[in-house]
Amino acid sequence: MNATESGAVGNAITVHDFSEKILEQVVHFHVIRLSGGFFLWVGSKPVLSNLAVSMNSTFDSMPLSTLVLGDASDATPNSLAQRLTKRTKKQVFVSYNLPVTDSNLSLMVENRIKKEMEVHPDKF
Amino acid sequence: MATQPLIKSKQTEKTINGISTQVVCTEFSNYIFIVLTQYGKIGTLISVTPDSRSADISIPMFTTKVLLGKDEALTHVCAKNLTAFVSQEAGNRPVLLGLALKDSSIEAIKAMKDVIKSCRVW
Repeated sequence: MNATESGAVGNAITVHDFSEKILEQVVHFHVIRLSGGFFLWVGSKPVLSNLAVSMNSTFDSMPLSTLVLGDASDATPNSLAQRLTKRTKKQVFVSYNLPVTDSNLSLMVENRIKKEMEVHPDKF
Repeated sequence: MATQPLIKSKQTEKTINGISTQVVCTEFSNYIFIVLTQYGKIGTLISVTPDSRSADISIPMFTTKVLLGKDEALTHVCAKNLTAFVSQEAGNRPVLLGLALKDSSIEAIKAMKDVIKSCRVW
């Protein structure tokens, strides 16, 4: 995993893991930084149940977003990807694998991601 | 954070026909996620799913679907060629493949398969 972590090449892919106890459960984060974008997985069990993609549009100030995998009735991965694109101006892939019953949780998860982006901007 | 990463992942880089090729393999319980790129990007996203009805027949069959990007015949051929063995080795788990290639010659694809093998997480 450390092979390309040196960052010598500008477009080298890096993998970054972190976790945090949020509302009595450990939430894991897995980030794959790519050239011009990143892949972010969020969950407490190692499943990939959905995947949303978001990117900036020339015609709209709000980034475009679409769900390429999973249940389209759940808007959480889409909206999270959209907000992360808004913040980073990058193409963002998001897989959100936590119960959607608690809107507080997704808010806290998003804040945790933003915190990590401030501490490790080179990982996103 | 002292906790171990929940997600198992391996990555490598190799020069194939003079082109830098990066591979990242990630294991999920229901998917194997592979990024194979010569552009540093995910590019075209393809799902490779084993057909359940072929489980009892000796010839395994797969359904490939382009989830994001240009839906070309060659993309399906490359995806199936590159990842059918992964799905089989991973207990018939579907594979999610991010593919961004400059060179999709048969020799290059063969070499890429070996690179994927060196990043076995399943």
